[in-house]
Amino acid sequence: MEQPPSASPPPPAEAGSHRPPPLPSRALRRLILLPALLAAPPIGATPASADDALDHVRSTGRLSYGCDMEGGGPYAYIDPDNPGRLVGFEVELMDALAARLGVEAELSQGQWDQLLNVLDAGRVDAVVNGYELLPSRVRDYRASRPYYIYQLQLMVRDGSAIRSWDDLKAPKPGGGRWRVGVLGTSAAETFARENHEGTVEVRAYTGATDPMMQVLSGQLDATLQDLPASRFYGPQFPGLVSVGPPEGRGYYVIYVRPEDVAMAETLDRAINAVIADGTLEGIYRKYDVWTDAQEELASLDTARIADSYSELSREADRGWALIWKYRGYLLGAAGTTIVLSVASMPIAIVAGLLIALGRLYGPSFIRVPLSAYVELIRGTPLMLQLFVLFYLANLPPYVAGIAGLAINYSAYEAEIYRAGLQAIPAGQMEAAFALGMPRWLALRRVVIPQAVRIVIPPVTNDFIALFKDSSVCSVITIVELSKQYQILANSTGGVLEFALACAVLYLVMSLPLSWLSRWSERRLRGDDRSRATKRGAPE
Amino acid sequence: MIEVSGLVKRHGELEVLRGIDLAVSRGEVAVVVGPSGSGKSTFLRCLNGLERFQAGSVVVDGLPLDPSSADRRREAVLRQIRTRVGMVFQSFNLFPHRTVLQNVTEGPIHVLGLDRDEADRRAVALLERVGLREKIDARPSQLSGGQQQRVAIARALAMDPRAILFDEPTSALDPRMTAEVLSVMADLARDGQTMIVVTHAMSFARRVADVVHVFDHGVVVESGPPSAVLDNPRQEATRRFLTETLAA
Repeated sequence: MEQPPSASPPPPAEAGSHRPPPLPSRALRRLILLPALLAAPPIGATPASADDALDHVRSTGRLSYGCDMEGGGPYAYIDPDNPGRLVGFEVELMDALAARLGVEAELSQGQWDQLLNVLDAGRVDAVVNGYELLPSRVRDYRASRPYYIYQLQLMVRDGSAIRSWDDLKAPKPGGGRWRVGVLGTSAAETFARENHEGTVEVRAYTGATDPMMQVLSGQLDATLQDLPASRFYGPQFPGLVSVGPPEGRGYYVIYVRPEDVAMAETLDRAINAVIADGTLEGIYRKYDVWTDAQEELASLDTARIADSYSELSREADRGWALIWKYRGYLLGAAGTTIVLSVASMPIAIVAGLLIALGRLYGPSFIRVPLSAYVELIRGTPLMLQLFVLFYLANLPPYVAGIAGLAINYSAYEAEIYRAGLQAIPAGQMEAAFALGMPRWLALRRVVIPQAVRIVIPPVTNDFIALFKDSSVCSVITIVELSKQYQILANSTGGVLEFALACAVLYLVMSLPLSWLSRWSERRLRGDDRSRATKRGAPE
Repeated sequence: MIEVSGLVKRHGELEVLRGIDLAVSRGEVAVVVGPSGSGKSTFLRCLNGLERFQAGSVVVDGLPLDPSSADRRREAVLRQIRTRVGMVFQSFNLFPHRTVLQNVTEGPIHVLGLDRDEADRRAVALLERVGLREKIDARPSQLSGGQQQRVAIARALAMDPRAILFDEPTSALDPRMTAEVLSVMADLARDGQTMIVVTHAMSFARRVADVVHVFDHGVVVESGPPSAVLDNPRQEATRRFLTETLAA
């Protein structure tokens, strides 16, 4: 399953400027995300000191900013004509700002959703990558004045009856809901989920171009994109057209550490200057991201915007109140996780048993392809298999998810059963033969029941693993528990609260599996005397 | 009842059975003795098709087995032979996941198609006969070796077999348990059950056998009533075997 190279997520834009949110203290955030911090590339600035970052930037002559090139165009990307060079409107913006400070801008690559933690760790001086002004972020970081006013653009197949977002608020002719693809955890996702009349099914993708492809292939009715992304990638999809006025509205800002007041003020002055002298408009026009809305950049009442966002950030729910508020989402997503696991595991178990029987007792023309199947499925990642089922076979998300999990785990179950079947002494089969049983009856009555007892612990183990692996289904737009966690944590800033809530939910759901396993082991081992005394009761 | 002629069994280069001719008539108790590795067990397993053979013929109750018959046909014949000829193994091979009673009713219900009540009734009677009436709800793992082997005999009997093959039924048992199993087998013999018994229990052969066959290196070296074969062996191989057995 290949994606076009440009399919990686463009950026930025995290959810919901509409929801007021809180973050746990930065110290806690740092603790939770410790692994990400350790993995972050140690490029750029030195650790934070008591001095303002501005002093550091001036003394080293380098302004280091966190950015994710995987986000792609038009934000920051490698120049296709000159692979040694970075381009993008944010790269040029930072170059222009750094020039005003008399220093050089230096991009420090990091995973997009971890950039603020990299900032916390003092490895960069600023974060610039389509980061929106959000109350949840204003609480813990200092924001520059807006440097871009972003909007969302609806894109449909050429010839589609949909002419604007309002058309999606009407019921879909012929029943069902409008299927709208968005980039996961982006502002577009939040907007799409909140602005319809129960008429839209939102599917969240890992890349911006994936939903564009799926609109073309007919899997989606429309996709809602950040306007810069729709402008940048639109030409690669000539079958798509942008329809309706831009929707939604928000600001991209540069974030710095809260104590770096001088740094923020200096950046504000620099941004004002590049707006005033037309440098910014030149950059935006070069990348075709200039829109009418940008006319307002110069006249924005930045002080009032900053005040209203800090106000919102103080009103936000925290702790239990936050979890309680979103309990419906959490429980619904937990239900999805259960549906995926409970539907796929039985298929995997039955298929695995049949595969194992075929490999052990079948004729060689069956054995060879079955061995190949097991090796192929076991040797490739679940995510890839899901992509194949979803994008190539064009199956609906749930069908692809359940089939993918079932296929992936059937290979593992097959090996477990093979071990279990081989553990049964040959004398058992001989004793069954000696009673005149044909092979299949001997397997069914004598060998398989004993093998099943042996494999219960590893199969339960796999069930619990599958249960958690179901989170991979988020890559094919299914919102299960871990995906819901990402969405909620990103949009409300309740990283710690929702992490705990989801951990508890996962545990609460997997513990009964362990109990079920132990109960069935006991029962099947034959310790259940009450059954033994019921003579002749069929097993 | 059972007629074997020219039976040859090879494991690759090794010739395990080198032309066995042997017949067992209805109601006869045939005891097969001989040193380890002489092919006794392999011979027994050829009779109900647990081993394939390369040459010769086996006819069991009028059903012919020969090495050339096609697989499908062979399967059908084998199943018929196996429902008519029971087998008792050295290592019992009871089904550990079923109760004693279920071990005994498994064949009658699922192979012969008896209804459960009838099968239960007969199984209880057979377990009574081998002295294990009170153990019907136990699991095999809760029984001693001797008790397990007696259940295995009841399991074979439940198929109402025309003959039973015993493959060293007491080799895994201590002397006391050996005695209880042999006494059950002697009872069966008295009731006219056709039996072929591969064993090292010479006293059993002496008391119960109608005919004793002595195997050595894949051939039958001597056959006859126990008094003749065991007390006045005519063959050197038989004498050597008997001396070694007594010395042991």
